[in-house]
Amino acid sequence: MNSISPSLSVSRRQFLRASATASGGLSLGIFLPGCSSLGSSRVTDDKAWVANAWLEISASSEIIFTLDRVEMGQGTATGLTTLLAEELEVMPERITIKNAPVDNAYRNPDYGLQMTGGSNSLSSSWGQIRHAGAVAREMLISAAAEVFEVSREECRAIDGSIELRGVGKALPYGVIAALAATQALPSNPTLKQASEFRYIGKQNNRLDISGKVNGQTAYGIDTEVNGMAYAVITRSPVVGGKLKTFDASKAMQSKGVIDIFEIYNGVAVVAEQYWQARKAQTLLETDWEEGALAKLSSEEMFDTFKRAADTDEGEKVRDEGDFDKALDNASRVVEVEYQTPFLAHATLEPMNCIVQINDGKAEVWAPTQAPDLARIAVARVSDVSPSDVNVNVTALGGGFGRRLTQDFVEEAAAVANQANRPIKLMWSREEDTKHDWYRPASFHKLRATLNASNEVTGWDHQIVAPNLMDWYVRDAAPAQYPWSPKFMYNMLGTVGLALQGIAMPKDHTAVEGALEAPYDIPNLQVRHTHADIGVPVSFWRSVGHSQNAFYVESFVDELAHETANDPLQYRRSLLKNHPRLRNVLDLVAEKANWNAPLPQGVFRGVAVHESFKSYVAQVVELSIEYGTIKVHRVFCVVDCGIVVNPDIVKAQMEGGIIFALTAALHGEITLEKGRVEQSNFDDYALLRMNESPVIEVHIVDSEESPTGVGEPGVPPLAPALANAVFAATGKRLRSLPLKLS
Amino acid sequence: MKINVNGVERSVEFDPDTPLLWVIRDELKLKGTKFGCGKGLCGACTVHFNGTPIRSCITPVAAVEGHSITTIEGLGSDDSPHPLQVSWQQLNVPQCGYCQSGQLMSASALIAHNPNPSDEDIDGAMSGNLCRCGTYPRIKAAIHLAADNIKNN
Repeated sequence: MNSISPSLSVSRRQFLRASATASGGLSLGIFLPGCSSLGSSRVTDDKAWVANAWLEISASSEIIFTLDRVEMGQGTATGLTTLLAEELEVMPERITIKNAPVDNAYRNPDYGLQMTGGSNSLSSSWGQIRHAGAVAREMLISAAAEVFEVSREECRAIDGSIELRGVGKALPYGVIAALAATQALPSNPTLKQASEFRYIGKQNNRLDISGKVNGQTAYGIDTEVNGMAYAVITRSPVVGGKLKTFDASKAMQSKGVIDIFEIYNGVAVVAEQYWQARKAQTLLETDWEEGALAKLSSEEMFDTFKRAADTDEGEKVRDEGDFDKALDNASRVVEVEYQTPFLAHATLEPMNCIVQINDGKAEVWAPTQAPDLARIAVARVSDVSPSDVNVNVTALGGGFGRRLTQDFVEEAAAVANQANRPIKLMWSREEDTKHDWYRPASFHKLRATLNASNEVTGWDHQIVAPNLMDWYVRDAAPAQYPWSPKFMYNMLGTVGLALQGIAMPKDHTAVEGALEAPYDIPNLQVRHTHADIGVPVSFWRSVGHSQNAFYVESFVDELAHETANDPLQYRRSLLKNHPRLRNVLDLVAEKANWNAPLPQGVFRGVAVHESFKSYVAQVVELSIEYGTIKVHRVFCVVDCGIVVNPDIVKAQMEGGIIFALTAALHGEITLEKGRVEQSNFDDYALLRMNESPVIEVHIVDSEESPTGVGEPGVPPLAPALANAVFAATGKRLRSLPLKLS
Repeated sequence: MKINVNGVERSVEFDPDTPLLWVIRDELKLKGTKFGCGKGLCGACTVHFNGTPIRSCITPVAAVEGHSITTIEGLGSDDSPHPLQVSWQQLNVPQCGYCQSGQLMSASALIAHNPNPSDEDIDGAMSGNLCRCGTYPRIKAAIHLAADNIKNN
């Protein structure tokens, strides 16, 4: 950023640091207080004051916003830039967005890691980025007042200039940027009132469209560096298997091959061209130690989960009233079992990464959601220390949580380290499907007790599932302490040590969405039986909610039918303490005309769910045609607080619904003999346009703080769909994907 | 071997069985055409072969010698975008954007032959193009909008 030494000293309680740039502009670092959820240990040193964004105004009035969250389609680049634009009084389109490098300054304050996930970009940045924009605006006003030799009150910011009121004179920001950098930092600048907003709630354009319609946006896979070779890797066919031996003699003869060698998880084929590497790979012979999972099938896994449910009551993560007593006094008990499979992320851009290692330094180009974890992944397999790894975040061809795991970066680094030249690692679709870190499979037992007047008195939800953090902590813990010696990585990466003084949020991934079951039931318990079969798992769009909403919202639908109630009215009656959930439910009932009869053969189902602090209700209309489910329409009402970009909110709901339909109708990763059975889009199908329903999205008018939209559209869809299938067929489908026969 | 891409004839040195996709991307440096599946299942690699949409990931480069190939880079220009590129912008179609080159190539072939497609026509022409972000409703709307824009001009 070419900053000259800061002209103002930085005190711990200041939010911003201003400085002049070498080219005569203003550079502004935005410092944010660490998030209290990370515990007090984080607030003991300067790192606890996190700078999560940078603003630079050049002498030529170019305004550069350094974005520390990655844009993967969810609209965060547009959303966060709009916040800055609003307070800075410039059109969002005038701001240049630059991706942040790895720096503690850019850590996500909610996680203590530089990552994008959890639908929290707007909620965590809502105050801070506007504050930064307002500070810069006030400093520019002070600078202009000095030039005009008038009081600040006579100046105002408008469209990238400071205007002298009523005179028609104006100074573009660039002209006074250097002078602005010398002004005192306003301690508490006034943020604009909602009634004054020009862009928030009104901006409907995205800032990243043009490169995406002319082919110019550069994703990871589009990146090239001088002298690079292509690499592909043959990995164990069995999950967790290890290489015994390999024979590269034939493959080495293949045209274009540069080298073939073993790395930590398989055999790398390095060639001049990608297709040459692939052709040589088919001639490579490998022999594997298949390991502990060699005989595992999905069926056996669910049997194991069921046994775990019977033998381990699990940890009570929520316990209200006395369920056992409710059980003793019940006149009727409803007891059911549900399950959901592993799911792959299937980002359309397969995993890929470029790594160049030179003189103890590494340069990485990666479509990653977590650049500081990428640094650890490189350091782990090379002699480079994390601080000498520079990560260039490219555009991402989808994320959905897949790119929070840095396995593809680690592989590319291992190959580059041994190949002594820059390496572009590419995964095929088959490899992407077979070697993902999956959305966990899980098994659930749900029980409800009813009294003589048919009221629900008790609810018991037992969840048998792994903890994601057991897997994620391997890179995440060292990333929080990148200065720790490499021999400690594995120790840091075990849960026990990671939780000792290391700011790792408590792992609710297995239970989230079930833990918070919103219904007014006096005796309510939620239990987690920890079960991990050894297949790598990770975050998948909406994480635990992606399946727990299915169980909770299907089971409450079952109870509505058990007690002969309308499913929507029944939910309403049990949501007295959740006004925002009730409100979205009421609105979706109105929009979908819930009480009006449907055409012959068309049926509907409803579900409502809170996730990432947003509230979403959906009604699905479908029919059964030739033995298959045909979804016609989905109505969606979302309450995500104040809306910054209404069209992006709608797009995220549409996308979330289609993503969830893929999972509910088609999504299933299964294992046989420890091998993932699916490979490409023929056997791991994504929803296609001819299956895509009409989607109507309605956004609740709200003055609450903004909350997530990237993920909350996903959870209610599967249960609303299953509930509609029940309405159509009388058959309660308790596993995903939904299969009619 | 000589291939004609976006109106320019180019000599390329590749094994004849190399999929056209990799020649376009890695030799001609036209990166707008994407790799998604390698099996003709997702449509991210769609280009025009004499005006007809094909999947370049399963088309050997030898098969296009002497024919005219158009990629997303040849569909329109900044000064003169294709009507679909305009309607795509008007309706904010892309999210991650990775599949959109292929979507636009399939859609442009559709409206070149059928200037007023119905929903069913669009489903028929576009169901070979996957979008993981779920932009299908907007793609459909943008095809209709482009058709309307062309008619009204």
